[in-house]
Amino acid sequence: MLARSGPGAGEERRTDTSRNRDPAHPAESAGEAEPDARFTFANERTFLAWSRTALALVVAGLAIIQLLPPFPGVPWGRHIIGTPLILLGSAVAVISYLEWLRNQQALRRGEPVSRSWLPRILAVTIALIGLVAAALALLSGVTRH
Amino acid sequence: MRPADDIEDTDPGLARERTELAWDRTAISFAALGGAILKSRPYAGIPILVVSALIWELGRLARPPGAGRSRPWHLLMITVAITSVSIAALAISLLGPAAGGLRP
Repeated sequence: MLARSGPGAGEERRTDTSRNRDPAHPAESAGEAEPDARFTFANERTFLAWSRTALALVVAGLAIIQLLPPFPGVPWGRHIIGTPLILLGSAVAVISYLEWLRNQQALRRGEPVSRSWLPRILAVTIALIGLVAAALALLSGVTRH
Repeated sequence: MRPADDIEDTDPGLARERTELAWDRTAISFAALGGAILKSRPYAGIPILVVSALIWELGRLARPPGAGRSRPWHLLMITVAITSVSIAALAISLLGPAAGGLRP
């Protein structure tokens, strides 16, 4: 969690921006305020960590398709495993940006940040890909013998 | 004033420094990918290396000590870069020549 919820949390998270108003952030005048720099930095680091995860997923998918030897008897086996990983990486990159925007907005309003769906999406998809990979490995073993 | 007070004033919790390191790690991830691809597909590796240099620079840019204003365009650039890499990866995988794998 980026910030605790409860009474007074919003006030702790925000800083006085009356001295350095920025025309690029007009919402400050509409009841929103620039949050404490530490929370902004923490939100940014979370986004960057998800971005590295997304890049790792894309690289893993590409490596499976390009570097693994083909499954005997299942010529499209590598694509069945690698393509969802690449798509998942792309989805994680986009969703993490949207979550960063949402969290930043919540911080500016002094609201608690909402729960992230990314860990659940990542866990379920990787588990499914693992099951498919196991099935392919078994199938190629049966085809070979 | 003690030196420790100075650091806490300009960078509370060293949040700024840790964020810069996170930017560095992200840039290194891109550089590693670009370097790995460079040998087999230079047309894809060179742009990724250029992006990694850009990300490195974005992590360095802009924020004076103590300031923590969000930077949506910088972060959007990372998202666009990863999405572009994944589109290129899909194109290479689906449309490129079939790879035989590492095993001879």
